[in-house]
Amino acid sequence: MRWWQIRTRDADLERELRSDLDLEEEEQRDSGLSGEEAHSAARRAFGNPTLIREQTREAWGWAPAERFWQDLRYAIRQLRRAPGFTITAVLILALGIGAVTAVFSLIDAALLKMLPVENPELLVQFKNISPTFPINDAFSYPAFKTMSEQSQVLAGVLAFRKLHNIDFEVDAHSGLAEGQLVSGSYFSVLGVKAIRGRTLLPSDALAAGQNPVAVIGYDYWRSRFALDPEIVGKKILLNNAPFTVVGVTEPEFYGVQPGAKIDVSIPLTTMVLVNPGFAASGSQYDVLTAPMRNWLYMMGRLQPGVTREKATASLQPVFTELKQEAVASLAGQPVDSPALREAVLDYRLQLDPASQGLASLRQQFSKPLWVVMAVVALLLLITCANVANLLLARANAREREMAIRLAIGAGKFRLMRQLITESILLGVMGGALGVALAYWGSSSLLALMAQGRSPVSLRVQPDLRLLAFALAVSLVTALIFGTIPAWRSTDVDPSHGLAQNTRSATSARERHGLGKALVVLQVAVSLVLLVGAGLLARSLTNLRDYYPGFNRENVLLFHVDPTVAGYKDVVPIYERLLDRLRAMPGVRSASLSVHEPLSTNVSDSSVKVQGPYAHQGDDLAPVDIEPVGPEYFATMETPVMRGREFAEGDRSGAPEVAIVNQSMAHHFFGDTDPVGRFVSIPAYRGDTSWMQIVGEVRDVKVHDLRESPTLMLYVPMWQAPEGGATFEVRTAMDPAHVETAALGAVKSIDERLPVYAVKSLSDQLDDSLVEERLVGSLSSTFGFLALLLTCVGLYGLMAYTVNRRTGEIGIRMALGAQRGRIAAMVLRETLLLVGLGMVAGVPAAFFASRLIASQLFGLKPGDPVTFLAACVVMIAVTMIASYIPARRAASVDPMRALRSE
Amino acid sequence: MTSMAKETQQRSAVLQGTLDMLILRTLLYGPAHGHQIGKHIQRTTNDFLQMQHGSLYPALHRLERRGWVLSKWETAPDRNREFKYYRLTEKGRKQLLVEESQWKQMAEAVARVMWPAAEES
Repeated sequence: MRWWQIRTRDADLERELRSDLDLEEEEQRDSGLSGEEAHSAARRAFGNPTLIREQTREAWGWAPAERFWQDLRYAIRQLRRAPGFTITAVLILALGIGAVTAVFSLIDAALLKMLPVENPELLVQFKNISPTFPINDAFSYPAFKTMSEQSQVLAGVLAFRKLHNIDFEVDAHSGLAEGQLVSGSYFSVLGVKAIRGRTLLPSDALAAGQNPVAVIGYDYWRSRFALDPEIVGKKILLNNAPFTVVGVTEPEFYGVQPGAKIDVSIPLTTMVLVNPGFAASGSQYDVLTAPMRNWLYMMGRLQPGVTREKATASLQPVFTELKQEAVASLAGQPVDSPALREAVLDYRLQLDPASQGLASLRQQFSKPLWVVMAVVALLLLITCANVANLLLARANAREREMAIRLAIGAGKFRLMRQLITESILLGVMGGALGVALAYWGSSSLLALMAQGRSPVSLRVQPDLRLLAFALAVSLVTALIFGTIPAWRSTDVDPSHGLAQNTRSATSARERHGLGKALVVLQVAVSLVLLVGAGLLARSLTNLRDYYPGFNRENVLLFHVDPTVAGYKDVVPIYERLLDRLRAMPGVRSASLSVHEPLSTNVSDSSVKVQGPYAHQGDDLAPVDIEPVGPEYFATMETPVMRGREFAEGDRSGAPEVAIVNQSMAHHFFGDTDPVGRFVSIPAYRGDTSWMQIVGEVRDVKVHDLRESPTLMLYVPMWQAPEGGATFEVRTAMDPAHVETAALGAVKSIDERLPVYAVKSLSDQLDDSLVEERLVGSLSSTFGFLALLLTCVGLYGLMAYTVNRRTGEIGIRMALGAQRGRIAAMVLRETLLLVGLGMVAGVPAAFFASRLIASQLFGLKPGDPVTFLAACVVMIAVTMIASYIPARRAASVDPMRALRSE
Repeated sequence: MTSMAKETQQRSAVLQGTLDMLILRTLLYGPAHGHQIGKHIQRTTNDFLQMQHGSLYPALHRLERRGWVLSKWETAPDRNREFKYYRLTEKGRKQLLVEESQWKQMAEAVARVMWPAAEES
């Protein structure tokens, strides 16, 4: 029998019982009883037909489902009868469940989800492990070629490199795009298909510059080409080199780095077309042949049945050969040194699981997102306590109902089941609304995450995974907030409950105590959230106020790359541009550097020092190299401690010079004066020429504000020009005012010069704090919500208490208690609850703050000011919340209160 | 009133687990409706086994769910009315044999413990 047959079945049973009952009655009549007597005798012999029916239905095996259906219908009726309660509870739950679901959707998309490719669990990432250097994920092109041949353990190997800020010109309109260079095996190894045209093939990546073809991403196809159906075969220019679009990838595909944006993919071998300087084609540094140029990220697909351990072991001999080739290629090069050879030979190959793609976004957002998840989980706990409190109040109102139902024979567990069904219904309704909230919330969270220095493009959709999560959270929530109130409401003594004066029932007082416990819990958890939010917000303020070694105010930044427009010699362009910028009204000074301040990019190299120095033999210590223009430190307002800074005269032909920062000066020269000493950076410049140190400047934060000081070597831009450069323009007013004029100056030199990354230095600083801002603003928002919910809960409890005690208050007043003292009584009770909550909350907050210690800046986890402030705020706000019930208590009319009693 | 109470004392509820067997055995004579089955068991035991309707109908429906009996609304041969007749299926017959042998073993085992002397003679 199926459940939908129950109704027919029911009618059948009823008919069967009636016919047998009739028979019984006939027989009784035959034995000589009158009609009326026969009827009741038959009834007696037969038993209770309703009970028999119930018992028979149990035999059908559908009773549990049927009972649930009954309970559900009853629950819907009950909730419809109390719309105020229902709406409040559903809204509160939606808030909690929505917040948790929204954060989970981000965690899922950024940290947990597998790559949308075929069998992602077979993917591995290649890594170089070294005892001397940090983990290095990059490999050379010869290494990629060799690994591709290891088909006994690897079904395929792919290599790629990101191409940031590519100039993508179509139909004479240029635009900026994020691209990647990929091996011909890239799409086939991943198992990613094209929805238009084709993907790249191994035959596209055979020889340098041969096949200028491009595959574009679905999102770019939509945003730039409006889903143009004629896309295949379209001619485009990438960094001024002609390419042909051959296909569009599937919409789900976003590359192998979650959150990264991939607008266009081109063959590795076309590096020579889009960045000839980097490709160094034909030289001994040619990216396609030099064994020492590690520029590719590699992933492999394991052969089925081969473990990572086995694959790693069987690849080691080949890897050792590759290392030896690399060392051999060092011979005769300026960078060559015994220490470097040894370091290269120390490398070990490691294969990491890569089913979720490469880890950059995970590393960046993993910790912040889990902190936020903990915050919303605590918020959910508060909403549970809040709704449980609402249910308890409702239980008191329904005490008589429960007493009657128990008195006429309902089982305690049957009633509990019914109440829990009500809670589940509430939970699911809250969950449904919460999912809608979450969808809206996660897009604003994504917008917040996308403000960082590297573009984040994540796709968050309400898929089945997310819905299952929300449903599970709703059900668990419902069980948490529903069970105890259900137990309590059915724990009624019918005789007491049915008595006229229900207020004297002892069980009611216990229930009241439970409500207080729930408020204490809410106060404690809110305090944890408030302290956390306070610590994080103050860390953010500290970071913003921190002096990074330069003056962040009133500086405009923008990036220009003349090589993209075809210029070989960039220095004359830069000089003309600097002249025009400096002549602009409102500009105090201007300079340029290769990397923008607080950039994620870095050029580092080892340094050689002439003459005696500390750390002798330690010539592998990585030093960050930064080419900067004249007056750079004056523009950035970085103090020059010794010597001078670069001037217009420091150009090619003049003696080569350099500037060190304090850390580097101290590292190599201790307390002696570095000015006048000579250093060289063969690995960076490719020659061993000595540069004389002419100055020492204060340490500045190079990549982010939390880093420990790095060793920095500045070289003059005019002596070591690179492709693009970032201009720094110090203004006398808000830099936004000179933005148009500055960009006009660039275009006045050449219309084709692409300009990107235009922003103020203070915005750049803010962008570098994206994780801190994410955590800070979310924890403040949720901390505030927690406080609000706690106040609502407290208000509800106190209002209810006052209401119940109206009679008692009336008596007190009649006996001469003053109104002020009555109000104080209520406030004192509130204070007691809040105090208890704080006694529990302060140690918990202390423990929690130690967990986020690494997120803090400029203060300790147990910062007393923050703790004190959180406690004061908690007391103040809860006092306000209980002010209304206190006033109501004070305005009780004794006559009326006593009359109603 | 008193006589009724006395009567009740002499009756006994059907032993747990044997009801199914009794019903199946009753249906061996041919199709019957619920009332007939109940009455039959009661009469055959000279009213010793009290037939509770509260257990009879759940048992019938349980047997039907297990496929040991089939039910059908049919007109009674002796009067112009429809009753729900239960009849034994092939599966039910086999089940009856199983339960019967189990009951025999049980009864013998009980007997050996209770009246060991009888065993010797």
